Amino acid sequence: MSKAAPTSSGRILLLLGRVALAAVFLVAAYAKLKPQGGMPWSPASVKISLAMFAMQVDSYQMLPVNAVNFVAHALPPFELFLGLWLLSGIALRFSSLVTTLLLGGFFSVMVRTFALGLEVSCGCFGPGEQLGTKTLLRDGALLALSLAVFIGAFLIRREPDEVGTSVGAVATPRRAD
Amino acid sequence: MNLRRNPISWRFLGSICALFVLALLVPWGQLLAPARAQTQAAASAKQPTKTSSKSAPKAAQAEQLGTPNKGVGSPTAPVTMEVFSDYQCPMCGQLFQQTLRPMINDYVASGKVYLIHRDFPLPIADHRFNWDAARWGTAAARIGKFEEVDTALYENVRGWGADGNIQKYVASALNPADFKRVQKIVAGCLTQTPQEFRPPAQAGQGCSLDAFINQDIALGKQVPVQATPTYVFTKRGQRLAPGSGFVSWPLMKQFIDSLLTQ
Repeated sequence: MSKAAPTSSGRILLLLGRVALAAVFLVAAYAKLKPQGGMPWSPASVKISLAMFAMQVDSYQMLPVNAVNFVAHALPPFELFLGLWLLSGIALRFSSLVTTLLLGGFFSVMVRTFALGLEVSCGCFGPGEQLGTKTLLRDGALLALSLAVFIGAFLIRREPDEVGTSVGAVATPRRAD
Repeated sequence: MNLRRNPISWRFLGSICALFVLALLVPWGQLLAPARAQTQAAASAKQPTKTSSKSAPKAAQAEQLGTPNKGVGSPTAPVTMEVFSDYQCPMCGQLFQQTLRPMINDYVASGKVYLIHRDFPLPIADHRFNWDAARWGTAAARIGKFEEVDTALYENVRGWGADGNIQKYVASALNPADFKRVQKIVAGCLTQTPQEFRPPAQAGQGCSLDAFINQDIALGKQVPVQATPTYVFTKRGQRLAPGSGFVSWPLMKQFIDSLLTQ
């Protein structure tokens, strides 16, 4: 009983952490895909939103045009997928690893751009947000959270589970002892 | 309900927590606010900004010469692009040279895009002559010669940015008669330009240009412009979210094409 209490609170924290990360990615994907200027949802309006996002990616001045287009068209659907994956809790160790790597990549690009003094739209949650200390702090906090979830997912996996299931959707087998 | 023994209860509790946290995390204000801001901004783009009571007489005086037209192309074009810019900002110059020039030659010339320059001189010590450059541009706009002077200012920013001799490049962009007209408008307005490069001002002559530049700045603050260059597209009266920084021409062309085919 005395061991079960911290395990339960750890699981709840892990749940909250991964749901928070999932929410962030779902909101980010939605903000990048949503039609602008009061346009209705349609393939054409989503195409405009993605073309706008491509201009934001280009403003970082890191990639050639083809690579910018690939990133701009692949990232929002991938963020949507990652958000749903984190929310489901399936293979949390792997989803949190992918999330940590992705956020680490974002953070390093943002730090580089900020250090170079380029004044660009962040593009993190759609258009209109300027890259600055606020966005850097936010992205750094998300990276720390993601790292905590990744470490937590490994630690929880190693602990004995009275119930026999994790808080997430992944079943944790009972220990034989 | 024994949570410890019942995994279904755990999942139920987990789902409730997840939905609650999800609802808390969604930046509802941010998601809803842009729509309202875009509608207000679109309305302001259509109508000129009201000037303060102090600047009203100056603006009325300026009407005799005509309101400065800093637009390039046809105002009836399906897409309008406003660029908030500082003549001494390096990225503004890069955007003009590498992106806006090809756009002017192609999409503006063919009537697809109407490009509007908006002055947004930044309060940066290194940008010493940005206000005076904006005044020259605005003065040229009042006689319908904005495009020529705008190009000359961006192309020669290294020259006039070093010594403040803006009039040398404006003179090279205009015929002598037009240059004299612009000189007359701008005389008495220049504040940072060295005395030897200033056109002679008549006694008691006021400056009507700053009111127009301040109008642009007020429009920029509504966007809101946080850095230069900032660009805003409008399609069929609907203003899209602003973007900032340098964008290469192929990607801006792709964006405009997607707008035109929508």
